[in-house]
Amino acid sequence: MATEYGAIIVIALMILAIALSFSIGSNDETVAPLAAAGTIKFKFILILGGAAIAFGMIFLSEGVASLVGEKILGPGIKYTIFMLLSVLISSILWLVIGSFSGIPLSSTHSLIGSIFGVVIVYALFVGNVDPAAAFNQEKLISVVISWFISPLAGLVVTYVLYKIIAKLFLSKLKGLNQIEKSETRFAWSLLLAVFFAEIWVGANSAEALGILYAMYGTGEISLGMYYLLVVICGIFAFLGLYIAGRYVIRNLASQLTDARPSDGFIIQLSSALILMVCTVVYSVPISHSHVIVFCIIGMNLAQKKEVDYRGLGKMFVFWVLTFPIAALFAGLLYFGFISFGLY
Amino acid sequence: MLEFDDDTLKKKSIDELTRLFMDFINEQNLKLIEGIEYLIEEDFDNFQKNLNYVIQTTAEVQIKRRFEKKLFKSKKASFTKADRLKLFSEINNIKSIGEFLANKMLLYKVIFPDQEFKVRLEVILNSLKNISNNLSDAVKLIGTDLIKAHDICEDIKEERREMRNSEWTLLTRLWNYDMDYLSRAFAYLKDLLEGIMILADHMKNFSEYIQFLATKYLIFK
Repeated sequence: MATEYGAIIVIALMILAIALSFSIGSNDETVAPLAAAGTIKFKFILILGGAAIAFGMIFLSEGVASLVGEKILGPGIKYTIFMLLSVLISSILWLVIGSFSGIPLSSTHSLIGSIFGVVIVYALFVGNVDPAAAFNQEKLISVVISWFISPLAGLVVTYVLYKIIAKLFLSKLKGLNQIEKSETRFAWSLLLAVFFAEIWVGANSAEALGILYAMYGTGEISLGMYYLLVVICGIFAFLGLYIAGRYVIRNLASQLTDARPSDGFIIQLSSALILMVCTVVYSVPISHSHVIVFCIIGMNLAQKKEVDYRGLGKMFVFWVLTFPIAALFAGLLYFGFISFGLY
Repeated sequence: MLEFDDDTLKKKSIDELTRLFMDFINEQNLKLIEGIEYLIEEDFDNFQKNLNYVIQTTAEVQIKRRFEKKLFKSKKASFTKADRLKLFSEINNIKSIGEFLANKMLLYKVIFPDQEFKVRLEVILNSLKNISNNLSDAVKLIGTDLIKAHDICEDIKEERREMRNSEWTLLTRLWNYDMDYLSRAFAYLKDLLEGIMILADHMKNFSEYIQFLATKYLIFK
C-alpha cells in the first residue's frame, strides 16, 4: 500500500523540504542589527543575508544534514518516507503553535524531537528493535548535550569578548563624536560578522536538508538529485529571507535603532563562532535562536544591565517542552500511518 | 538682522551645528539677562533694545532647519540620532522660554521697590549667567569629553540650588511689602522672578539630561 503512494509522498516531501527552507529564510532575523545600524541599503542587506544563508546551506551543510539524515540512527534502522512525512508535519505544526504563542521555538529541537518520536514508534511497532539500540547513542547524546552547552558557550563568549573590547577600546572613548566614529567602524565590522553568522545559520539549518539526506539514504532520490535539491533549498532560503523575511527584519530593526553596532557585532560574532564550531567540528544541529538569546544575556550581564529572568523562565519551559511534545506529535502521527498500513 | 550663509551651514557637521546653535542661544540668553540688568538700572531704552533683540532674532531657525535636514539624511550613527535631536530641542527650548519671558517683561516698565531688592535680583541674574555659560560649555563638550560635560552639569545643579534659596528670600521680601504696593509692580516682579526660575529650571533639567547621556554612552573599565 505504501508503494502506491510512494512517488506522491516523495514529491510531497521534496516540496515540504523546499517550503521549510523558504520558512527558514523568512524567519531569519540575523541581519536585523545591520538594518538598524543603517550602514547599507535595506535591499542590499536582504541580498547579502540571503546569499550568505544560501551559501551556507549549499556548501557547508552536509555534515549536519548527514547526522540528522543518517548518522543519528542506530545500526539497521533506516528512515521510511512515512517516518519522514510524520517528522516534517510534526515539526511544522509545533513551530506554528510556537509562532502563535509568541515564543521563539527552535526548529532544530522540534525536528530532532520528531525524529526521536517516529524512530521509537518504528522500533516498537514495525522494526521490532530495542528502542535503546534504535539510535546512535553517542550521536544523540552529543546533539542533546550541544543544546545545553551551545547557549551557555554563547553567553560566556559574548561576556568575555565584550569585557576585552570594552577594556581595550570602548572605555577609551570620551566624547560622543569619538563614540559615533568608532561605532561607524563597528557598523562595518557588524556587516562582516552578520555575513559570517548568516553563513553558519545556513550551514547549521538541518531541518530541510536532513530530511533530503535521509531520502537520499533510503534510496528515494539519487545523489545528484540530493545536490540539486540542496541548491534549490538554498535558493528558496534566499527567497524566503528576501521576500518574506523583510517584514520580520524591518520590525525588529525598528526596535534596535538605539542599539550600538559594537554590541551587535559582539553578539553576532559570538553566535557565529558557536555555530561554526558546532557545524564544522561536531556536525551537530543546534538552535540559533537559543544561542542568540544567551548571547544577549551575556551582553546584558557584561554591561550590568537587567535580565528578564521571568521571561527567560517562560521561554525555558517552552524550550524544554519542544523535544517531548514534538516527539509525541510525530510518534502519534506515525502510529496513525502504521494503523493504515503505511510504514 | 543676522543671517547665516547657507553654504557655510551645509559644510558643518551635526556636532558643529549643535555647537553653533548653542553659542547663538547662549548669546541671546546673555542679552536677555543684560536686558533685565538694564531694567534694574531703570535704563528702559537699552532694556527694550535687548529684549527686542531676543524676540526678533530668528537666524537660529536657519541652523535648526539645516541641522534637521542633516540629521534625518545622515546614515551614520543612527543609534545617537534620537539623542542628538533631543539635545537640539532642549537648546531650542531655552530660546522659547527666553523669548516668552522677554515678551512678558516688555508689557510694563517696572520701578523697583528698593535697593535691596535690586541687589538680590542681580545676584540671581549672575547665577543665571553662570548657569547659561556653563551649560553652553557642557553642550559643546558632549562631542569631545562627556566626563567633563558631566562634571560641569554638577556645578549647574549646585548653582541652581543656590538660586532657589535667593528666590525664596526675594519672594518673601516681595510678599512683605506694604499692601499699597500690591499692584502691577508686584505682579510684574513676581512674574519676572518666576520666569527667571523657569529658565533656570529648564537649564538644570537639561544638564541632568546631559548627565544621562554621559551615563548612557560612556563605558568604564
